[in-house]
Amino acid sequence: MKKEKQSIAYPVIFLSVLTLVYIFVLAGLDFMTKDVVAQNQALELEKKILYVFNLQDDYTTDDEARALFSERVTTVSETVDGEAKTYALLDGDKEIAYAVPFAGPGLWGSITGYLGVNSDFTTLTGIEFITQSETPGLGGRIAEEAYKAQYRGLDISAASDKLFVINRPAPGGNIDAITGATQTSKFVVNMVNDDLDTFLKEVRHGE
Amino acid sequence: MANKKLNVKAIFKNGLFADNPVIFQIIGICSALAVTNLMMNSLIMGLALVFVTGLSSFTVSLLKDRTPAHIRMLVQVLIISAYVIIVNIFLQAYMPAMSKALGPYVGLIITNCIIMGRAEAYAISNPPVASLLDGMAAGLGYTAVLLAIAFVRELLGFGTLFGIPVLPESATAWTLMIMPPGAFFVLSIYIWIARSKRIKQEAAQEKGGQR
Repeated sequence: MKKEKQSIAYPVIFLSVLTLVYIFVLAGLDFMTKDVVAQNQALELEKKILYVFNLQDDYTTDDEARALFSERVTTVSETVDGEAKTYALLDGDKEIAYAVPFAGPGLWGSITGYLGVNSDFTTLTGIEFITQSETPGLGGRIAEEAYKAQYRGLDISAASDKLFVINRPAPGGNIDAITGATQTSKFVVNMVNDDLDTFLKEVRHGE
Repeated sequence: MANKKLNVKAIFKNGLFADNPVIFQIIGICSALAVTNLMMNSLIMGLALVFVTGLSSFTVSLLKDRTPAHIRMLVQVLIISAYVIIVNIFLQAYMPAMSKALGPYVGLIITNCIIMGRAEAYAISNPPVASLLDGMAAGLGYTAVLLAIAFVRELLGFGTLFGIPVLPESATAWTLMIMPPGAFFVLSIYIWIARSKRIKQEAAQEKGGQR
């Protein structure tokens, strides 16, 4: 036994066997929970879209959220951009608002999210971030209610030159930037303006 | 195992008090500082550590006679990471909100010195069941300290315990407590108290011995 342990082959075989055993166990567990995890992720996205449309108070349970999403929200197929889809809020058969995906660089990593805009493109309905890795407590506060609430019901009908949201105190400013996170605040406003502009151009050309 | 009686009480006393990993060995500090701004996070983190430490110690002990000594650390890390991945999968599937809240710290359990420390200090030279208990005891010691820190931080920082408001609305939230410095203050105060108590005890014992 002692001699075996000192050979070169024994440690290699030992480690390979052990690794194989664990790979099978972990792969099995991963396979078993794959559907649940995917469901959780889908639900999270659905809840975020509902938040963008200001419908976050219209459900209490996860099942109600799913039902509400499938009843009121539809994907706008013609503006599929990569993986991020544009969603529309339905009232009967009429589309009354859109959730427009936006993406761009943040301070530490890319930021993605959805911006809600009503169907005559005069008012924002809300904003929600899907991924962001900004500094917690500073730039990370873009994901907090106090910041996101500023986008709710924001009037953008007077916006010109693709400046829909502007950080205060610049002239025409309508969003309070986050203190100590000037860069993040700038990045967010820029990506929101750019991607909303692109979306509006596409829609208007389509008409 | 046959000639050595399993002393469950001593194992748990060591893990929880006498050899508490965080207070006396000062290991596992990183996550103890990171996740303790909410009691619920601390509890889940602690339970995850109990699970991982217990089972990795158990497995390391089971394999100790077959493991070549020079690759034992490799084997230990492999075993530990497998259990951490299991915890991570479980949280993602059944507690997605908690998985989000703990974020990278679940994965970082792999680097938690407590687990490797127990594997090296105890499991490698003790029978499996004793190692399992020893690992769980160390995990519980860690959990206890985490909860103690989180109690102060959540109470003063948010005015809540396990998310239930306990302080009146008029109480001003102490934001420092939910930021990293708060953890440093609370943990060092605990270590200070525990250590001065121990020094006193040891002094008393020495005196008693001399007489």
